[in-house]
Amino acid sequence: MIGSFLDQFWSLTFGGLSLGFIYILIALGYTMVYGVLRMINFANSEIFMVGTFATIIIIRDVFKFTQTSEYATGFRLWLILATALIFAMMVSGTLSMIVEIVAYRRLRRMNSGVLAPLISAIGVSMVLAESVRILTDSRPVASPRAMEKRFIGQFFDAGIRIDNTIIVISALVLFGILMSFVNKTRMGKAIRAVSMNPNAARLMGINIDGVVSATFLVGGLMTGAAGFFYVLKYENTASNIGFELGIAAFTAAILGGIGNIKGAFFGGLALGLLETYASFFLGTQWKAVTVFIVLVLVLYTRPNGLFGEALTQTRA
Amino acid sequence: MNERYQMKKRVMISVTVAAALAAASLVAVAPASNAAAKTITLAFQGPLTGEEASVGQDELAAMQYAIKLFNAKNKGKYKIKVVQADDQGDPAQSAKVAPGIASNKKIIGLVGAAYSGATIAALPYYKQRLLPMISPSATRVSITDPSAQGGAMGVPVFHRVPPTDKVQGPSLFKLATKGVSSPKVFVVDDQSAYGVGLVDYMKNSIPAGQSAGFDSVSDKTTDWSATIAKIKTAAANVVIYTGYFPQAAPFFKQLRDSGYTGILAGGDGVLSPTFLTLAPASVIEGVRLTAGTVPLAEIDAKLEADFKKKMGKSSGVYAAEAIDATNVFLSCVAKGVSTREAMLKCVKAYSGKSLTGSTIKFDAYGDVAGGVMNGFEVKGGVIKFTGPVG
Repeated sequence: MIGSFLDQFWSLTFGGLSLGFIYILIALGYTMVYGVLRMINFANSEIFMVGTFATIIIIRDVFKFTQTSEYATGFRLWLILATALIFAMMVSGTLSMIVEIVAYRRLRRMNSGVLAPLISAIGVSMVLAESVRILTDSRPVASPRAMEKRFIGQFFDAGIRIDNTIIVISALVLFGILMSFVNKTRMGKAIRAVSMNPNAARLMGINIDGVVSATFLVGGLMTGAAGFFYVLKYENTASNIGFELGIAAFTAAILGGIGNIKGAFFGGLALGLLETYASFFLGTQWKAVTVFIVLVLVLYTRPNGLFGEALTQTRA
Repeated sequence: MNERYQMKKRVMISVTVAAALAAASLVAVAPASNAAAKTITLAFQGPLTGEEASVGQDELAAMQYAIKLFNAKNKGKYKIKVVQADDQGDPAQSAKVAPGIASNKKIIGLVGAAYSGATIAALPYYKQRLLPMISPSATRVSITDPSAQGGAMGVPVFHRVPPTDKVQGPSLFKLATKGVSSPKVFVVDDQSAYGVGLVDYMKNSIPAGQSAGFDSVSDKTTDWSATIAKIKTAAANVVIYTGYFPQAAPFFKQLRDSGYTGILAGGDGVLSPTFLTLAPASVIEGVRLTAGTVPLAEIDAKLEADFKKKMGKSSGVYAAEAIDATNVFLSCVAKGVSTREAMLKCVKAYSGKSLTGSTIKFDAYGDVAGGVMNGFEVKGGVIKFTGPVG
């Protein structure tokens, strides 16, 4: 087993890495909102699901690809990918802002506490999932393949596939943009201020509603990008897909320390790799068991996750 | 006075009798003229909404097709109505709808349930009220297996048309390895009762040295890289997936993308027209599938054309079985059966031909003896019938 693991080590690692980067982007959706509101956005998994459908709409309906189409190449390919990515991000970002207005804003103004918005977010999540289920007749939907999945290089024994490479590089770029947005811009500063102390921030003249909206928008953009990468890698989706990935990304956020952007990054990577290695060693049926045992062990020693909720320094 | 009185009395009596007679004859005449069409109610149980809705909707359409033909043939004599019970393919939902069906005395026969889990959940209610069932697609062995814990749980009400997974497991292995000189077979199940059961029945028929390994993967899996790594490590050249098409398509796709060039195969859970839309044609070309069913178009192109004309859509998986199951009930109705007791007796004694020409006769546990599995292959973007797996 160990010998065969070493044979497959790099290909498992590459698979785990690209899955990990998808987790990171969804985890950012949870973490941004938690950082500012101290509330879990349970609708985030459905925002992701809608992002996957937005991607398929671009590839299948706008660019008219079918399962038997020729692959796109060159400039046209990049145009399709960029359009799909931007569209998925915009749809999810907008949806995320709407979710905030519907499920959070009024309750927040009425000082409802934590539980009421939690339930209203779960409600929104169900409405989204069920609506899409009805629209798709409960069937899974496949994305036609626009890009040939060729190997672009070799690393030891493992082939490096183009889609995994695109995912890792673009997700890194997006993560970098997010970090500099939060750390360098005026709005980023306001987000950090609200996250540290909402009352003081309000006294300083920061528009709390604006900051919360911006946070949901940024979280939704990242989650929508995850939807695009997911379709690029797996080429299919379904109305119920959000649940499984949402739980995984939420776990990643907790593992790294929820509310902490760096935590989401390392939590997502750790989870992607851990799931992949555990599935190989113990059988896929043990994947969830292993992941949650590790999570509990981490929380025993570091109750706030690997990087802690130490929001004031690293948090959003 | 006396005589007059008597006379009057006699007239009165005769008038009364005449009136009574007339009334009686009216009563007798009325049903004869307008209720010549005797209404018989049957039920269908299967997933009509939810994730598995297509399976139930396809079977229901086939049942309605059979009834349409019967109603047309017996115009003025019988009129068959169908009550629809939607169990979403889910045992929990099945346990909720079954009591209502069981206590509706008008229903004298049930086509279904489509799924084994839902069948098992509904059985207690149907057994209590002796509602005869004939399933077109519930293939789990234990329902009719007398050696199962507690004996065959379906007796006496359960019957089914298709062969069970006991037949399908070995047939699937046989089909998958057909023409492969030194097969190394890797089998992946989806952790469902269906998938795990199929593997259990397959295991005994795998010759020594031909097994490359097993994996059991949740039906919510989206990333298959670990399973694929195992398949590569084992150097398998045949991969069998015992699950359903929504997972089979992405699994096969990821496996092919990883450079795997061997054979791909699956059972009747994968045999769905939707499967073809979920992966690029090049990926699923050559996928081998088994099922107890035969597509209507393969039985007779005219039959499929007529189905499409009458029902407004193409026939789906298990259409032939749903028609066969309905026909068993209908032939009993034609014999004058109108109660559950009589229906059960009639179904038990039934012997007739299926659409494909094989004999339908239920054994003591409700199975049709000598079921045959059929082979299919994806060729040029369609699922082609390749004949029985012998």
